[in-house]
Amino acid sequence: MSRPRALENIRVVDFSWVRAGPWATRWLGALGAEIIKIEWPENERGRLPSTTTPQHLEANLNNSGNFNDTNVNKKSLSLNVRSAKGLEIVKRLIAVSDIVIENFSSRVLQRWGLGYEEQRKIKPDIVYVSMSGYGHTGRHHHYTTFGPVAQAVSGLTYLSGLPDKPPAGWGWSYMDDTGGMYGAMCALTGLYHRNMTGEGQHIDLSQMVSSVPLNGPALLDFTANGRGSRRAGFPPGNRAHWPGTPLVNNYRGPTVAPHNAYRTDPGDYNDWCVIVCHSDAEWRLLVEVMGAPSWATSAKFATLAGRLAHQEELDEHIEAWTTTLGKYELTERCQEAGVRALPVQSAEDRVEQDPQLRHREMYLGIEHPALGRHKVQNAPFKLSETPASNHLPSPLIGQHTREIVEGLLGYSHEEFCAGFADGTFWPTKRPRFPYLEEMLQ
Amino acid sequence: MKDAQGQPLPGPLAGLRILELADETGQFCGKLLGDLGADVVKIEPPGGEPNRHVGPFLDDIPHPERSLTFWYYNTSKRGITLNLETADGRRLFGRLAATSDVILETFRPGFLASLGLDYEVLRNENPGLIMCALTPFGQTGPWRDYLSSDLLHMAAGGEMASSGYDELDLPIAPGGGNAWHMGCHFAYMAIMAALVYRPFAGQGQYIDASIHEACALTTEAAIANYIYRGEVLRRQTGRHHAPGPTPRTQFRAKDGSYVCALVAGRLNPRYIGELADLLDTNGMAGDLRDPKYQDPAVIAANTSHIIDDLVAGFIASLPSEEVYHAAQERGFTWGAVRAPEALLDDPHLNDRGFWKEVEHPELGRSFVYPGEAAIYNGSPWRISRRAPLIGEHNTEIFCDELGLSSGELSVLAENSVI
Repeated sequence: MSRPRALENIRVVDFSWVRAGPWATRWLGALGAEIIKIEWPENERGRLPSTTTPQHLEANLNNSGNFNDTNVNKKSLSLNVRSAKGLEIVKRLIAVSDIVIENFSSRVLQRWGLGYEEQRKIKPDIVYVSMSGYGHTGRHHHYTTFGPVAQAVSGLTYLSGLPDKPPAGWGWSYMDDTGGMYGAMCALTGLYHRNMTGEGQHIDLSQMVSSVPLNGPALLDFTANGRGSRRAGFPPGNRAHWPGTPLVNNYRGPTVAPHNAYRTDPGDYNDWCVIVCHSDAEWRLLVEVMGAPSWATSAKFATLAGRLAHQEELDEHIEAWTTTLGKYELTERCQEAGVRALPVQSAEDRVEQDPQLRHREMYLGIEHPALGRHKVQNAPFKLSETPASNHLPSPLIGQHTREIVEGLLGYSHEEFCAGFADGTFWPTKRPRFPYLEEMLQ
Repeated sequence: MKDAQGQPLPGPLAGLRILELADETGQFCGKLLGDLGADVVKIEPPGGEPNRHVGPFLDDIPHPERSLTFWYYNTSKRGITLNLETADGRRLFGRLAATSDVILETFRPGFLASLGLDYEVLRNENPGLIMCALTPFGQTGPWRDYLSSDLLHMAAGGEMASSGYDELDLPIAPGGGNAWHMGCHFAYMAIMAALVYRPFAGQGQYIDASIHEACALTTEAAIANYIYRGEVLRRQTGRHHAPGPTPRTQFRAKDGSYVCALVAGRLNPRYIGELADLLDTNGMAGDLRDPKYQDPAVIAANTSHIIDDLVAGFIASLPSEEVYHAAQERGFTWGAVRAPEALLDDPHLNDRGFWKEVEHPELGRSFVYPGEAAIYNGSPWRISRRAPLIGEHNTEIFCDELGLSSGELSVLAENSVI
């Protein structure tokens, strides 16, 4: 039985590529919007280069695994926007759409003649979300980012690591994921505002700028207290406080011990758990779970002040215990006793082992014409009336060109075929995939 | 941003009433809604939310009205106190819920239902009500009642498995409380979807949002690497996880701070020429202009020399900010690895009006807060007020809105209802 979708009848013109923009429109698609992804095979970033094509396949435009997960719930229109005819088609598409999203450099759409002023002439209430690295406003608007650069410049990278070592940073493009969140949030907020007022607008999102508010308490500690983050004991690794340094809050909740990662059995690369005690009562529960060894009942660990003062010794003792247990068994024992503990989980652990994610159906299979059936990631929220869902695999490049050009925009089949002949819908010299040939029949 | 009459434009969510029953896990979602224009009423237990006791504190003086963490995450909200575990508290809450658009709550699963305040009950009085329960693991499943913390979520969500150092096995959890951010971003999205849908259906809905799932979704391609190739990724210093070692991207500058310079994977003859121009700005191009680098095979054979000798040497010769701007002005996607406080001096943020002076009238002072992620050109995203004091708006809401007398308010206070 088909459930209603929250964004039924909303159409999104999606110029975005690589990760942050496509991650934004993926969620609008999961919520039911029709996402029309505009692509051009000669100038494509996101499908290739691919490091997630299965080993038994030769990487091509249609078999990147990560592209598939990032672009479910979308349709693909292959279109040379840099041609006069292509531009005309895009304008007709914008005229029947609600939202335009792109994550190009700051002046690209203007150069194409598709800046906000032009868009609103075509569709007065269009909601336009630009997701450039530094935004469209400000002297460095022409600077460019990837996730790691936005993280570095905004201060996020600096928050991760051990004291007296280089920043460990984030081992992935956190700000591509989170930039995508903000892209979707801005589109939804602009859409709500349009529905209430009849007014569209240009929302000028910046990947670098959107990283900065994620450092709020650290920034206020500086602006209100004059305390910067370049200080002894910061960042404190996985601890709330680094032993032997001044006692100050390090922006990850209360200053407590234990608060760390510990090795678990059998000691392989991802055999770690984390344990945190927020109170003396929680510490006493942990002591019980550990079997009340004599070291743990020592008075010096009985108080928070004592545990912070003897944190190195405390962590050594705890780790001597954790290494005797597997990380899932340890998690169960601790949590059943009311102790905060969870395993460090790799991607494999999350997909194969995590009982909670399995129960919540986080990873469900979807059939893709080039990749076969694979699990893709589902939404982390359940809307009771309009559940988000992955209802389309990622599109093959240009897969929906005919459907959109003829079906939605009303061009004739002859015009459609002429657009293939003149290089509007596919480069004339580039071999066509069989499904493109079929469209021309 | 003003309208034709010189009045400030309302934010995009103007007119919405949100009730926030959120601790540290969900308060950022309420801040986003409030900064974007909704009337967010934060309901705290009498005496205030426990999170007010988390530092750092203003001037390092611990006090529930001086927590900078609480300040930051509770801007643009009004605040009332209410004890839901009393009959009077529940009755007042029911009256507020009857005229609200959204309830955001972070109680342990089943708690509101145990008070008779579950969604099915509240919607009877207000069919348009949207209720978002944002919890560590969601309302169902074997981990439903597990305890959590930011560090725990970063472990189980996969963030730690991806972050660390080349030479250490130790996984590192990036700081700053980002597990809560991840959950709140998705919760915000779900709430907005329900708000967009509501006029068409004529009814609200219930949202069961999970922080664990939000974190598990926020590791870029790690899941795809496993699903499509069976790969489990290794942690690397200051750069992406990978199935095998990749060239470094983080270099120490002359001033002791670092620069993120993405070079490997881009090395081709044209790029070598541009790189030589950049390195030459400080006389550090070395042999990069040698015609041998027109041959991609020679470039490939010399990758380590180019990165570890020439790029590293160039960056070591200048302060990180100079490297950053010189590189970006020439089209290189490089950045200085800054401590947060360096952002206060960033002219680009100033051009965007990013920093906001927020008044704290009770202290007779104002403080600079970080502002908004995006400029909404038609309906501003802006902080409208500092975080509420404990029960600051009790009179405004209980008396002015709900019509209680000052005597009734006093009785409620005496009996720990508010």
